[in-house]
Amino acid sequence: MNLFLRTTALLAAPLALVSPAFAAIGCTLSNPAADLKYLYPEMTSYREEVRELPRMKDGAAHYEKLRERAGPLDAIYEAYDTPYTLYSVFKGDARIGYVHGVNVPGKGGVIQLFVAAEPDTAKVRTLFFQRLESPAGKALRDKAFRARFTGLTLADFYKHDYYAVAAPDSPADPLAKVLLPPPNLPADGAADFASSMRGLRKNLLLLDIFAFDLRHEPFFEKSREALAARAKPAEAPATRPTSN
Amino acid sequence: MNFGNLALKNLWRRPVRTGLTVLGVALAVAVAVSLGGFNLGYKRAISNSIERLGFQVMIMAKGCPYEAATMMLKGGTGLLYLPEDTKAKIETDASVSSITPIFVGVAEKEASSIRDDAAKSFAIVNGIERESFVTMKPWVRFQGGAGYDGGRWFSDTAETEIVLGFEVAEYEQRKVGDDFYMTVTPNGAVAPVQHKFKVVGVLERTGSQDDGGVFVPLKTAQKLFGRANELTIVGVKLKEFSGVKLREFEGRWLKLPEVQVVSLEQVKGTLVSLVGTAQAMIAAVALIAVVVAAIGVMNSIVMSVYERTGEIGVMKAVGASRADIFRLVWLETLLLCVVAGAAGCLLAVVGSGAVEGVIRRLIDLGVSDSLVLITPALLGAAMLGAVVLGLVTGIWPAWRAASLHPVEAIREGE
Repeated sequence: MNLFLRTTALLAAPLALVSPAFAAIGCTLSNPAADLKYLYPEMTSYREEVRELPRMKDGAAHYEKLRERAGPLDAIYEAYDTPYTLYSVFKGDARIGYVHGVNVPGKGGVIQLFVAAEPDTAKVRTLFFQRLESPAGKALRDKAFRARFTGLTLADFYKHDYYAVAAPDSPADPLAKVLLPPPNLPADGAADFASSMRGLRKNLLLLDIFAFDLRHEPFFEKSREALAARAKPAEAPATRPTSN
Repeated sequence: MNFGNLALKNLWRRPVRTGLTVLGVALAVAVAVSLGGFNLGYKRAISNSIERLGFQVMIMAKGCPYEAATMMLKGGTGLLYLPEDTKAKIETDASVSSITPIFVGVAEKEASSIRDDAAKSFAIVNGIERESFVTMKPWVRFQGGAGYDGGRWFSDTAETEIVLGFEVAEYEQRKVGDDFYMTVTPNGAVAPVQHKFKVVGVLERTGSQDDGGVFVPLKTAQKLFGRANELTIVGVKLKEFSGVKLREFEGRWLKLPEVQVVSLEQVKGTLVSLVGTAQAMIAAVALIAVVVAAIGVMNSIVMSVYERTGEIGVMKAVGASRADIFRLVWLETLLLCVVAGAAGCLLAVVGSGAVEGVIRRLIDLGVSDSLVLITPALLGAAMLGAVVLGLVTGIWPAWRAASLHPVEAIREGE
């Protein structure tokens, strides 16, 4: 009987592997070979890897971080089991870039925002939209606007989090000018501009998890501690008992 | 004498040879079952896709019927349009049970490539007359749950309301109440115009081409595309559907100079015949695999008999009859083929998903249902085939073993 059960279980195991699962929609390049060659003309090969948080150690914790740092995630379209595709670009044996895209719900349809990042410094090399149907489309796809983001890292966003609260308009804020809407943004394009900036942040957060081994985490901690330290003196008087 | 145990022991003496023979037959059976399953599954998928269109006959502008078939199953636009009064004319036909006019247009979706800002993808826009469309497709339901609750159809005069098919909503990340942008270049115009719609409903998955389309009122679609009073197709359901009734219906309406009447049975036949030749070639390959496997089985059992010549002689010397020896060797062949048949069936069931994936990758078949349908009857037929294979291929080795003379066999075996 045991032998029968064991044999049945063994034979049934592949069935479990091929059973269909709910497929959350991921974000992939339409034509990876041509698109990556366009981004990296020197490319000789590339590798495509699907990353899913549920399959990662600490995946649930990463998802919580994403929710905390990128803002509320859509329960249906930005679900925990969403697959992400990370492209590694090679010249010979040397990795010369990472390319990663995310979907974010825009005002009138999905926005697919990709980032090409330097593998050693994690700096943004290029930001581009694969899909963006919006009155803001022309302004957001404009090369000069997208060039603003070249050279930024996730650390700059964490620093911005501090300055946005502690010293708005400070010249030390690396994103003070970068996050301004493009000059030709139509009034009805503001929502898609905001969604795109959220998408960029979400993309960099995921890249930090998937490709950069959370190397920007110390910047987040530092920013959080600085904000907490700044908040304490202000909160203290409010907690004192009052005498009437 | 327990022939079953003895036959099993004999097979087990050479586990590698037995295993390889079983593997060969199992692969042949798996290929045959997968192909049979594909044949059944494809026909079912075509039937389901066509039934989900809701109508049996399409009236459309004269053109290629293959284009018509593809258009209706995969979505797309016709190059020619019908005058809108075609519907009113056909509606008068006494054999018509229900009728629905549809305008199909293609809207552009901006920025679908990183290499070319002008590159666009598209959205299939179905302009429908809500009431007759719903009558034709009573199974269409609105998706419920968080984000989708409150889904409804638009009124026939609504100009900014839209209902999304399941896949469009999923891909565009839309929910009920969201906006949806589409860009259309109207007929005769040069500049595209972006339109904003409010999503009033998301349809449940139907497994048909409706999942990949968006729905607006007929008049709105005609206006968007600058084709007032034009239709792409008129879908018709007949009160009584048969070949004779269809020919009679065709005869009555082919007199209109601008229309062709396309039966979805014809479309089904066309689609099935498109893969018929490929299926015949694949079936030939499967047959060759079965023949090779049969030769392998026979070779394996003959080798086994050669090796046991002395042993068979001793068995006969101590009283085993010709029939006993024949039965033993025949049983070994049968067991081998039955085990291989079962393994092949299991392999086919497990591997059907992979087979389907490969087929879909190689050929765009225009259907969304599962393409491989492995039924108990198919598995039963495969097992029966394996038994017959065992019985047939075992005859010669068994006869040869049974014909050995005891003394000569013992001498040969020494």
